[in-house]
Amino acid sequence: MRAARVLLIAVGVLGLAFGAYVLVDTVALKRLPGLALWIGGAIVLHDAVISPLVFGLGVLTRRAGHRVAGSIIVTVQAAIVLGSLMTLIVLPAIVAQDLGPKNPSILPLDYALNLGLFWLALAVASVLVSLWFYVRTRRANQRPSRIQS
Amino acid sequence: MRRLMYEARAQLASPVRNPRMATVIGRLLGLAFLVCFGTGLYSHFLQQPLPWMTFPTRPAGLYQVTQGTHIVAGIACFPLLLAKLYVVFPQLFQYPPVTSFANFLERASIALFVGASLVEITIGLLNTYQWYPFPFPFKQVHFALAFVIIGSLAVHIGVKLPLISANWRAAPVPAPEERHPVDTGNVETPTDAHAENEPSAAEGLPRTRGLTGRVLSYIDRTPELPARTSRRGFLTTVALSVAAVVGLTAGQTFAPLDGVNLFGPRKKGVGQQGVPVNRTSAQAKVSTTALAADWVLTLAVGGTERSFSRAELVALPQTDVELPIACVEGWSQMASWRGVRLRDLVDLAGGSPDADLRLISLEQRGGFKQTEMGSEYVRDSLTLVALELNGETLDLEHGYPARMIAPGRPGVLQTKWLSRIEAIKA
Repeated sequence: MRAARVLLIAVGVLGLAFGAYVLVDTVALKRLPGLALWIGGAIVLHDAVISPLVFGLGVLTRRAGHRVAGSIIVTVQAAIVLGSLMTLIVLPAIVAQDLGPKNPSILPLDYALNLGLFWLALAVASVLVSLWFYVRTRRANQRPSRIQS
Repeated sequence: MRRLMYEARAQLASPVRNPRMATVIGRLLGLAFLVCFGTGLYSHFLQQPLPWMTFPTRPAGLYQVTQGTHIVAGIACFPLLLAKLYVVFPQLFQYPPVTSFANFLERASIALFVGASLVEITIGLLNTYQWYPFPFPFKQVHFALAFVIIGSLAVHIGVKLPLISANWRAAPVPAPEERHPVDTGNVETPTDAHAENEPSAAEGLPRTRGLTGRVLSYIDRTPELPARTSRRGFLTTVALSVAAVVGLTAGQTFAPLDGVNLFGPRKKGVGQQGVPVNRTSAQAKVSTTALAADWVLTLAVGGTERSFSRAELVALPQTDVELPIACVEGWSQMASWRGVRLRDLVDLAGGSPDADLRLISLEQRGGFKQTEMGSEYVRDSLTLVALELNGETLDLEHGYPARMIAPGRPGVLQTKWLSRIEAIKA
């Protein structure tokens, strides 16, 4: 274990050093602050914006759904996460399309419409899955005894 | 400060946030990173080979698969990386923030790892949209960051190796009688090597008053989800997310998914003659030269130069091949090409099929106006100087009057608007 750890860390440090070398060797120095800003910005964006939003979403959905089964809350959370993730990936495509691609074969689809349809499909699917969970939970709770869940 | 950190970690405690889940998601993410790194290096060396390198020319769709995989794995990294960060998020609030110099280095390397990974997959995604809103060059930075990320990954695995190996397999599952059919029991498995450091929400620290206190107690009163539901829900969400982002975009390269290509940056069959276009004749500024009546393709491969007009090329024996155009941006398109076998043409011009070639385009500027082709591609019977595409005369956007098409090479090396072919003196 110890040898493997030392080897991994040594290889990693070499990789880091090589990456840094390639960076200063091939990228103009005046571009590097911009890159550092993007790397720092990515950390801040994740830790200070995305994570608190996700945390807030978790709290809100659990409170809003305190009377329903956990599986239904998780279903709704999953749908929101899926939709948000897809939006995160597709939104730049919509912006780039709006700015005008260099030729018509780049970004040829109606991404905004497809994204809307995707959200719609998620809404329908989460309602159906929730209903299924609801029915299943009721049956499971009613079978052994008549006491409420 | 210390209390604030504890509060944050207690609030963020969740059945999903444990070393086992970090290992489960981490190894998937690590695998995706390694796949991206390997396929990325392959693509890099195809375009900038070291002098001793030769490449396989079969299967003809090899690059289509490697680069398609590169993009698919890169897209899959979005849900996987965000899931991994979600699992380990409470680590951000370690107290004290730094315990030793080694600990400082480790945390700094994690910050670099996270930041570089987020930037790498983001600029990769934006590159597939051909949108460059960042203040640095894509290709060089994407390449350099790959080494930074794989290096940080190795360091990270090295540091966490005991924890990873302790959590590589699942902890023993609770016996069936401990489970409730509707999962109301909070079955927590005692696996956590860090457990004694992790404060639980149940500790009930005294609340401060004021707005913060109110917000915290509001959060405190939020009902917890059953642990098993949380864990299963989390894993299902991650799996569905990967399936969605991959499944709804990969149709731009994997034909079976073409029908559900809702979000791919390219669509099969969209473009002149049913093939997408990357660099246009207008961008390459070849509209006049390529359509000029006196265009000839000059071969300087033997003792003397030899030039062929388009009519002369058409009069030579023609070969039909089915080869994909596969772009570095991850899309690909199968097409039927007709033209003169390159090795026959080289032969006719008095050259040797064992020489590497330099392909020169009519393009005035651009990184790929002049490219090199290893002799393994020159010798291959599928490599053509193509004159027709999908049964029609090659469109200007696809490289009229003549372009190169070879098996297993990236689209940028399938030189359009050919002007001159030279043997490279060894």
